[in-house]
Amino acid sequence: MSAMTNLISGIADYAPMLVRKPAPKFVSREGNRIYGIVAEFGETPAVYKAAQAVRDAGYRRWDVHSPFPVHGMEEAMGMKTTKLPLIAGGAAICGVLFAIFLQWITSGVLYPMVTQGKPYAAWEPFLPITFELGVLFTAFACLFGMLALNGLPRFHHPLFSHERFYRVSNDRFMIAIEAEDANFDPDKTRALLEQAGGDHITIIEEED
Amino acid sequence: MTSVTANSPAPDQTALSDHDWQHRLDKIASDPRMTESNIRAQGAIGKLGMPLLLVGVIGLVLTIIGAFSMSGRHALAAFEVGVFTALAMSLGSIFFLLVFHSLNAGWIITGRRVFENMGSIVWFPWACLVLVVIIEMASGGVLLKWIAGPGDNYLLNKKAPYLNAGFFIVRVLIYGAVWIFLGMRFAGLSRQSDDSGDRALGRKARFTAGWGILLFALTTAFAAFDFLMSMDYRFFSTMWGVYFFASCALASVSAAVLVLAVLRSRNKLEGLVTEEHFHDLGKLMFAFTVFWAYTAFSQYFLIWYSNIPEETMWYTYRKDNGWMWLFAFLCFGHFIVPFLIIIWRGVKRNMLLLGVMALLMIIVTAADMVWIIRPMVYTDKAVLDYGLTDPGIAGVWLDAAGLLGVLGIWGFLLTRALEKGFLLPTKDPMLHESMKHKNYV
Repeated sequence: MSAMTNLISGIADYAPMLVRKPAPKFVSREGNRIYGIVAEFGETPAVYKAAQAVRDAGYRRWDVHSPFPVHGMEEAMGMKTTKLPLIAGGAAICGVLFAIFLQWITSGVLYPMVTQGKPYAAWEPFLPITFELGVLFTAFACLFGMLALNGLPRFHHPLFSHERFYRVSNDRFMIAIEAEDANFDPDKTRALLEQAGGDHITIIEEED
Repeated sequence: MTSVTANSPAPDQTALSDHDWQHRLDKIASDPRMTESNIRAQGAIGKLGMPLLLVGVIGLVLTIIGAFSMSGRHALAAFEVGVFTALAMSLGSIFFLLVFHSLNAGWIITGRRVFENMGSIVWFPWACLVLVVIIEMASGGVLLKWIAGPGDNYLLNKKAPYLNAGFFIVRVLIYGAVWIFLGMRFAGLSRQSDDSGDRALGRKARFTAGWGILLFALTTAFAAFDFLMSMDYRFFSTMWGVYFFASCALASVSAAVLVLAVLRSRNKLEGLVTEEHFHDLGKLMFAFTVFWAYTAFSQYFLIWYSNIPEETMWYTYRKDNGWMWLFAFLCFGHFIVPFLIIIWRGVKRNMLLLGVMALLMIIVTAADMVWIIRPMVYTDKAVLDYGLTDPGIAGVWLDAAGLLGVLGIWGFLLTRALEKGFLLPTKDPMLHESMKHKNYV
C-alpha cells in the first residue's frame, strides 16, 4: 500500500465524487470490502504481549483499543513518534514569515504613515504580532494536523459494525489489524492472533 | 484514616507505615545503581577543583593588577560581571529548590543535590557583593555614584530615602541573611535526611519553601535594583527584577545540566540521572530561554514605545557608544539560536548536546551581565572627570580575568561541595519516583 493509494483512499472517503476508492485487497463472500480482523483480550498483560507479537510479525496498519491508557503500549506496538511537531514547526515558520511580510509590506512599503514619530518599518512593534501569528498558525496546525493524522472527523468506522467492539470502552482489550496491511492474510493473521491468546477473532466487513 | 480537607489538614504521620518505609529504604539501598562508586563524587570531580581554583586565583590577581594598572572602574565592573553570573547560578538554584519543595517534585530527586550544592555556596557571591559595597563605600562611589550622598543633585535628593548608604548596607545584609539561610537550609535538611532517613525533614523543607519563595522574590528583585539598575540612578524599570530573575533561573538550570553531564561522563549517577531527567531539565532550559527573551524584550519594547527620555537613555547610551554588536549577539545567542536548537526533542535527550547548550547559556548570561554593567565604565562623564580612555579590545583581558576569576572560585567551591557526601539524597521519600522517571511523550 503506497502513500499515494493511501491518499487517494482518504480523499475518496470524504469526496467520493472526485476519485474512486482503490479496489479492495480482500472481499467477503457477499462482495463486501474486508476492513480487517479483530481479536479480543481479557487482561492488560495479554494484550501487551499480543501487541509485541503483532509488532514483531511486521504489521504496520493496526491498532490496540483499550478502556484506559496502558503505559508502554506505544513501545510494545513499535509506534514511532508523531510527525505533528514537524507540521507545527513548519506552520510556525510560515506564520512568522507571513506576519513579518504582512506588516512590512503594509506599514513600510504600501502605506507608510508616521505613527508616534517612530520609523516606518521599525521591527519592534512587529514582534508581538509576529509572535501572535506564529502561535496562531502553530495552534491551527496542531489541531487540524492532529485531526488529519487521526483520520478525523468521520461519520462511521467499520469497527462499529462489530457488536462486541463496544465492550472496548468497558472491560475488553482489542487488537484490530487492517486488511490494507501488506502482511495481511486472513488465515495467517488469524493464526497469529490466536497464538497470541486472542479470542472472538472476527473478520470485519465494510458495509455500504 | 481521616480524610484530608482544608479544615482538617494532613496529619503528622505519613500514609506509609514505618515498616513499609524501612522496606522501601532497604529496596533502594540494595538497588544495583546505588553503589558507593556511583553515588559518590570521589575522584571524579576533585581533579577539576584545583584547575578551577587556579583559574579563579589567577583571574582575581589579574583583576587586582588591572585595577591599578588600567582602571579601578573597569576592574570592578569586570569583577561584578563574574559576581552576578555566579550569583545568578546560586540564586536560581535556590529558586528551583523552593519550587521543587513547594510542589513536591518527585522527578528531580536524583539530580536535586546539584541544585542544593549550588544554592549552599551562595555565600561566596554574596561575600563578593559585600566586597563591592566596601569598595564603593571606601572610594566614595565607583559605579554606584549615589553612594557618596545626594549633594545638590535634585534627582538624587528625591531618591535619597531609598538610595542612601545606610539603608543600602542594611538591605545587603538582609539579602545575605535570606539567601544564605535558604541555601544552607535546603542543603542541610537534605544532607540530614541522608543520615537519619527522617521523613519529616521533607515536610520541613516544604514549609520553608512556602514563605521562602516570597522573601526570595523580593530580595532577588531588590538586589538587582540596588546593584545593577542603580548604576545609572536616573534609570528605572519595574521589569528589572524579573529580568534578572530570568537570568538566575536560566543560568542555574544550565549549570545543573552541565554539572550532571560532567558527572555522567565520569560514570557517576549511572542509571540514576538518565536522558529522561536531561529531557525535563532541557525543557526548563528552553522555557527560561524564552522567558528571558520575553522579559528582556518587554522591557525594551515598552521603553522604546513610550519614548520617555529618562528611560530610553539607558538604551540610546549603549547604542551611541558602540554596544549594538552585543545587543545583536544577545538577540541571536541568547534567544534565536538556542530557541531553534533546544526546541528539538533529540537535543534535550542528548547529554552531550544539552551540555554544550548549557555552557552556551551560561556564557550568554555572562554576556547579558556585560551588557548591563560594562557600558557604565567609560561613560562620557567618567572619561571627562577621571581622564579615562576606553582601551577597546586591548582591555578584554581584564573583563575575562574578572569573569573567570569569580566563576573559577565558585566552581572550585561547587566541586568541594559535591565531594562532600552523596550525589543525591539517598533517603528522600520520593527517590523511588525519580529512579524510574519517564517522559511519556
